[in-house]
Amino acid sequence: MSLRRQTYEWRNVVQRFGDMVSLNSYPISWTGNCSTVPIPANQEIDIFIGGYGNNLDIPARLKAYQYVVIDSVAVFPFHLHAQIYVNTTKYFQDPDGVPSRDGGISGLVVPFPNGAVNTQTGQSIMNYDYREGLQPHIIIKPNQEWGVTVKTASGIAGVNRNATGADIAKCFVKYLLVDGADAIVARRLADAGWPLTPENIWHYKQDIVRTHLYAGLAPLSEKITEADRKV
Amino acid sequence: MAIRKQLYTWELHGDGGDGSSLTHYPRAGTTHSILYGDFGAVQDGQQTGLVKENEFVVIEKIRATPGISPNEFTISGTAPNRLLTRWFPNLFVNIVIDTTNYYQDPQNVWSSGVSGTAAPFPRSSQDEPYYELWPPVYVLPDQTVDIRYTFYNDMFNSASTGEWDIIPETTMIGAVYVDYTLYDGTDAMMCRQLMKLGIPISVDAVENYRRLLLKQKGMETDTFQHYLNMMESERKRRKRERKNQGIARHTEYGGED
Repeated sequence: MSLRRQTYEWRNVVQRFGDMVSLNSYPISWTGNCSTVPIPANQEIDIFIGGYGNNLDIPARLKAYQYVVIDSVAVFPFHLHAQIYVNTTKYFQDPDGVPSRDGGISGLVVPFPNGAVNTQTGQSIMNYDYREGLQPHIIIKPNQEWGVTVKTASGIAGVNRNATGADIAKCFVKYLLVDGADAIVARRLADAGWPLTPENIWHYKQDIVRTHLYAGLAPLSEKITEADRKV
Repeated sequence: MAIRKQLYTWELHGDGGDGSSLTHYPRAGTTHSILYGDFGAVQDGQQTGLVKENEFVVIEKIRATPGISPNEFTISGTAPNRLLTRWFPNLFVNIVIDTTNYYQDPQNVWSSGVSGTAAPFPRSSQDEPYYELWPPVYVLPDQTVDIRYTFYNDMFNSASTGEWDIIPETTMIGAVYVDYTLYDGTDAMMCRQLMKLGIPISVDAVENYRRLLLKQKGMETDTFQHYLNMMESERKRRKRERKNQGIARHTEYGGED
């Protein structure tokens, strides 16, 4: 399983109101017990290790035999923005070259879930513009660190026990994880400037197999076939 | 019927009680199989998903019931006959092949999988799933595949809040949907061959490969001569190889090569 389509979903749900983090898992909720942690305004919050909602122990740093291709990112509520970073570089920037002051792509463009209802208008908002994700996809190379941050200008209030779906901030990221032998193929493709897609990786592997088959079928040179036995 | 498009749906409905049954509803945070688990509509014999030696499985879709908050339930009627008519399980699904989980989190540790919110089932006109299982997952002969789900909204605790009296059997608590292609018999052998050649396994690829085989080895008049030439060529190649390796017997020296 060296080509795997992975997802990570962040939410600001916590086990008890007043908690900040749910580490390495989602909290268990039940009716009358679904609380969220407040998200401060104008602060970039890392969805992996930011200290809000469900978090990981360690940042997402790729191993020497891994590649990651980030396909898409989506957020909710609509005024939340998502920014992708690789090492110290941020993906979305303003026209003056400064990393996006809003905090990246907004939930109005990439709502999560796709078709989330806008409570002000009562209409579903669909992701039509980034249906194919970010083009070109973002390639993360071995040993690089990556992540996604969320930011809102108005903040999101925490809810004690009675949070509904509309109260919960969410961020979804989808990526292709290439590891093992396929990472070697990925490196060759990336070095040659090819997009890292499953189709391209398969195609490259087919070429390798074909080359080896042809090499196996090729006749040996006469010098070898006609040589006298030495032993 | 050597190539068959299959689908498997696991569903958990209400039991007519209030939701406090620990034998009917799984506890939140625990992981169970949709094939042989203790809850919902699993297979009668509760068999594991062992792929037989003459089969090849390609899993193409996986989806689950969407929804996150347990506070968005819907009830109808009045006490003491309030019916729970809609429930959000906060469901995640994972594919497990032998002992390996398909989904892992960015720190390379096992994760619960993909959520029903990202890959909803059933699909409605109001939502488009973000997640598609691409590339598909191959399950090889003699491997065991399992689909496991985890609820993060707890029904037992929710029942104790007394918001409803009855969960009717018509209310769906959670569902998981898997779509896969089952290749068996000679088609499974072709899948193995295609995989060895690095060619993606799809119905088109297998049918095309079959056509090529039939074309190459059909019952034309020159078939016998074709086989004869191939065998003769292979015999010569092996003889040459053994000589080059120095392992040929003395009877194999001389002659045309």
